[in-house]
Amino acid sequence: MATTTMAKSIPVPKKRAEALAVMVRTIINARTPLSIGIFYGVLFALLLAGLYPTISQANLGAYISSSLLSSLLGGHITNFSGFTVFLGIELYSAFYGLFFGGVLAWISGAALPNAIENGTLDLALSRPIARTRYYLESWLGVLICAAAIGLAIVFAVWIDTFLVKNAGINWQWLWITQLVQWAFMFFAAGLGMLFGSFINASRAASGITLGIIALGYLFNTLGGLSDQFKWLLKASPFYYAPAIDPLVFHQLTWWYPWVLVIAGLVCGIAGLVIFNLRDLPTT
Amino acid sequence: MTTQEPVIVIDNFHKSYGKVQAVKGISMRVEQGEIFGFLGPNGAGKTTTIRCMLDVIRPTSGTLRVLGLDAQRDKMELHKRVGYLPGDVRLPGQMTGKQVINYFSRLQGLEPVLLNDLVARFDVEVKRPIKGYSKGMRQKIGIVLAFMCDPDVLILDEPTAGLDPLLQKVFNEFLLEEQARGKTVFMSSHIMSDVEKVCHRVAVIRQGELVTVEEVEALREKAGQRVRVEFGDTVAPEELTRIPGVSMVSKSNSSYHFSVSGSMDPLIKALSRHEVVRLQAEEAPLEEVFLKFYEEPEKATTVAQ
Repeated sequence: MATTTMAKSIPVPKKRAEALAVMVRTIINARTPLSIGIFYGVLFALLLAGLYPTISQANLGAYISSSLLSSLLGGHITNFSGFTVFLGIELYSAFYGLFFGGVLAWISGAALPNAIENGTLDLALSRPIARTRYYLESWLGVLICAAAIGLAIVFAVWIDTFLVKNAGINWQWLWITQLVQWAFMFFAAGLGMLFGSFINASRAASGITLGIIALGYLFNTLGGLSDQFKWLLKASPFYYAPAIDPLVFHQLTWWYPWVLVIAGLVCGIAGLVIFNLRDLPTT
Repeated sequence: MTTQEPVIVIDNFHKSYGKVQAVKGISMRVEQGEIFGFLGPNGAGKTTTIRCMLDVIRPTSGTLRVLGLDAQRDKMELHKRVGYLPGDVRLPGQMTGKQVINYFSRLQGLEPVLLNDLVARFDVEVKRPIKGYSKGMRQKIGIVLAFMCDPDVLILDEPTAGLDPLLQKVFNEFLLEEQARGKTVFMSSHIMSDVEKVCHRVAVIRQGELVTVEEVEALREKAGQRVRVEFGDTVAPEELTRIPGVSMVSKSNSSYHFSVSGSMDPLIKALSRHEVVRLQAEEAPLEEVFLKFYEEPEKATTVAQ
């Protein structure tokens, strides 16, 4: 065995701020679905402002208030007039909950498996980063994505007020509506983190989360269609996010969003426990 | 860590995946300033052991201690002082080498003091996105990530895989420099020549069981010498096999080939009774010894004895 000696003057490494690097990386990894969520949120809102003068003239009342469409939208609208109603249908109905919840399911389900797939999880966890911290930073990154989508929607609605005469938006109720939507996204985020904690493939984890959100939407639609299936309503997360109600009718059962928040929290914490206990796969 | 305690202590370590026993109760010690080779065929349990040392996976039973710290309980403290190179370096394709280095140095919480030296020494590309990197280029980034914050202990899973021979040489020299600075290196490898050049001791694992832990010098002695003798007269093969230390005798024309372990003196004295036309002796490659350990357990035991 050969030996070499070489005089080296190497300084002791200085400490460096970690600066929520995992959270930032989670957001960067989610840039495609995040961009899609923001882009379509803003597009729907601005498109609505552009089309409002025309569609407000059309007689859509009978169509919108039909039981089928009410079930698809997750809210029964009888008084069909004003920009706020269109806004409620276009951005805060169950159908759009499915879309934005789906985007969050995609982001959250992939947050942890992405790091397994791109080989960074092994390397990251061999650094002085606890699994709990890694998980919580990933979760926080997902929630920031949810916040960004919601804020982009609210910003686009604010732009709408300049484009639509007499938009008549009650901002207090709009923010409450947005909070309800965020509660739904929080649930989707927790659910995705749970599946991502034990599924190694990002597409599988996101797909299953999205599937459960879609199943919830199906329950909500079927439950609204027939008395026979009414029991399905309460099993659906959409039942607890009646975002049309606060925006259009200025009413909300206050504890409904809390069901989603608590369910999301339970899923997220269960995912944290699983992530802490499991053997992580090789890259 | 007490002054007497070795840097790495593995005691009766078992790891099972369901009914499959990946590692079956291995124990070993690695001393301060040692470059320790961890060898074995594919699927022997090398990577499993390494990943347990880093708490990426958990042992079924047994203990793994590094720098006097428990691999599971004290991992946060431990990981501040350990550099790790995984067996298959995979990195996010969209990130540049520089971004990857920055990300992991942030996670380490330390400035990468060796970065410039490593980048220059291994000619590391850091500006392009990783997706355009070859296996060797990714391996170089992996080496930078393991060493850049100047850790006390290096745990390297096949560090020279994918590197060209020139870079393998550069890496081996670098490893010896690090050893001279008091760093401890635990490395798995399939490249026997590298192990021979840099390692002080080696452990061989096969089917989850430790076959041997030996000094490379001792293995070299066991490997002995390969001898070729051309006789001018007739010599029966039995006469050669009776000589102490002589084994694996084979004949081609008037020449005999055999291995000699230990002293050459009995052989020289035996040969002096015959007419020797030509005598050649060379050190047996260590690779052969390692490969014997990789084979059937009975054969390996024979070699060890």
